Amino acid sequence: MVPRLPRIVFVLGKGGVGRSTVAAAMATALKRRGERTLVFEWALSEAIAPWYGLAPGGIDPVEVEPGVAVANFRLDDSLRAYFVGHLGLGVFYRHVVNGRAMRRLIEAAPGIAEMMFLGHLCWLTTLAEQEAGLGFDRIVVDAPATGHGGSLLDLPATLASMHATGLLGKEVARVLEMMSDRRWTGALVVTTPEELAVEETLELVPRATKSLGRPLVAAVVNRSAAGLVSEDARPAWLDTYGASLSPPVRAGLEILHADLQSRRRFEGAVPTSLAGATERGVFSLNEQLGIVPEISQRAIVSALAGALAGLCAEAT
Amino acid sequence: MTARLHLLLGAGGVGKTTLAAGYALALASDRARRVGLLGIDPARRLQGALGVPLSDLEASVPSAGTLHAALLQPAESLRRWVAEASPDADARARLLANPFFLALADRLATATDIFAAARVAEWAEQDPELTDLVVDTAPGLNAIEFLRRPSQLAAFLEGRLVGWLRWLSRAERDGPLGGVVRGGARRVVGGLVRIGGTRLLLELAEFLSLVEGVFACMLRRVQATEAWLRDPATQILVVTSVRDDGARMSRELVVALREVGLAPRAVVINRAVPAGFVRELRALGDAPNLPAEGARVIRYAVAYAEMQDRLLDGVKDSARATVVLEAVRGLDADARLSVLEELGRTLNHALSAS
Repeated sequence: MVPRLPRIVFVLGKGGVGRSTVAAAMATALKRRGERTLVFEWALSEAIAPWYGLAPGGIDPVEVEPGVAVANFRLDDSLRAYFVGHLGLGVFYRHVVNGRAMRRLIEAAPGIAEMMFLGHLCWLTTLAEQEAGLGFDRIVVDAPATGHGGSLLDLPATLASMHATGLLGKEVARVLEMMSDRRWTGALVVTTPEELAVEETLELVPRATKSLGRPLVAAVVNRSAAGLVSEDARPAWLDTYGASLSPPVRAGLEILHADLQSRRRFEGAVPTSLAGATERGVFSLNEQLGIVPEISQRAIVSALAGALAGLCAEAT
Repeated sequence: MTARLHLLLGAGGVGKTTLAAGYALALASDRARRVGLLGIDPARRLQGALGVPLSDLEASVPSAGTLHAALLQPAESLRRWVAEASPDADARARLLANPFFLALADRLATATDIFAAARVAEWAEQDPELTDLVVDTAPGLNAIEFLRRPSQLAAFLEGRLVGWLRWLSRAERDGPLGGVVRGGARRVVGGLVRIGGTRLLLELAEFLSLVEGVFACMLRRVQATEAWLRDPATQILVVTSVRDDGARMSRELVVALREVGLAPRAVVINRAVPAGFVRELRALGDAPNLPAEGARVIRYAVAYAEMQDRLLDGVKDSARATVVLEAVRGLDADARLSVLEELGRTLNHALSAS
């Protein structure tokens, strides 16, 4: 039997494969099942809210459509939310945490931002409803690109080895509990059917599986060309109709066709390599360029949400 | 610095590494030059592009001229710098066992930018004959941290907190924690104890005291790189491919550069289609009896070219120049080094002409 979808789903993957698009599509698919969903991004500048014509709201969730909200992690906001909003330590925050010396330590030390990020997710799924009226059935995390995303999952174990007590010790224990509970957290990986992306994904999956101590929820192949081109590497139409084009345009068309062909080939390699590594299997999302009549991210997200309905279905 | 620095920035998957490799090969084909190529991509893409095994230290790449390439491996760099900075074996052993050091070594992927900055200056220091250093940065907006964090790191290392903690680590041997901390330091140290506990704080203090030499050297190098970045001869290229977020990502990089007082030499649009593409393909798309697959691919190609036009429009005011590089064939074939070099030469010509 397929385990239930975890409360928090981390969307992992290499830069440029469409993590934000997949995260937003997944949130839309979950909303269609009646769930209140939050997409929690971690980006220097927010991607998703602008797709809906909305100003980015930082760490405070912004509803982009009924049932789907987005928020973006910012270290400053999360420190204030933790010390002032959650712990009620306004004076301590203003004079110690927000003091110059401590700010410098916080900004320079690797790992602090990641810890606050995970801590905030933990709060969102436990006390946020009671403390701030923020209640979400599900959180889809648009995690930083591989390299950063991979090590995010390792962080709790690293911190646990550092003998923290005090507030940090308590937070580390809570985050460890969150990350080791399969009903609470899980991860899926996004790739495109391209050589480098597939290579990186095949390295990422065992690493993430080891960090989490359980299989990934699913793998998503974004920008699949299977619906666009046939298996024929050199279809007759390319020569007969290409003959009427000027040489540079013809070469350009041939390169784009060859790229679609190569995506089709690499897509074939993904399911066999990842089949046993995920709970729900491999889901394919079609290339939308030239299919969605008007290229807007919002339209693409809505179209892809349909293809992710199966991924989001609750096991019976 | 007498050598010229070339820095490629851009989102993940736009072909930065391929371009950096091609550009370095093209520069090295001028035999008067001695070219370095540093990859900062944790995914080791550069190795695949050049087809030679690369490590943290420079290795020679077979090419017409002199090209040396290295792939940043922060843990390796750190170990080397620790060995150079602390000849005292006992201090080195204590450092290697310190939990902060272990955590740092374990999590260097998130601090790549700082190691990269130090490594760039180390290279120039140790190779005085160098004429050009091409740097392929970490993907995405994280690459900006390379430029923003040096000053944060410097601020931290020069900050009073570090001084207090070092003092604490020495004083700790002589007496209990509470007795030694006075005045302004008390509030911060007390705050740190409240946040992380006494043991964590003492280990942090020991760590900071042990890495003092390494950090001082890194800081000096990071500052040298920062100065090199501000040299008028330095070329910063913002690379994008034809994709929906290309213009946004490029503009954000340009804005972030501007915030630290830097301007890109050019925005490079990679994997572009040639001029006249949309017009000719539209006509073809209307051809009678075009099979369904042909119609689909042409709709895709037209949408691709339209996206490229929007991208060009979106970045045209971002930099002094916009360079459009058409997609090339053969990057996955056996002769990829010559294809790479040709691509680099096209880029170099376009930059000289703009």
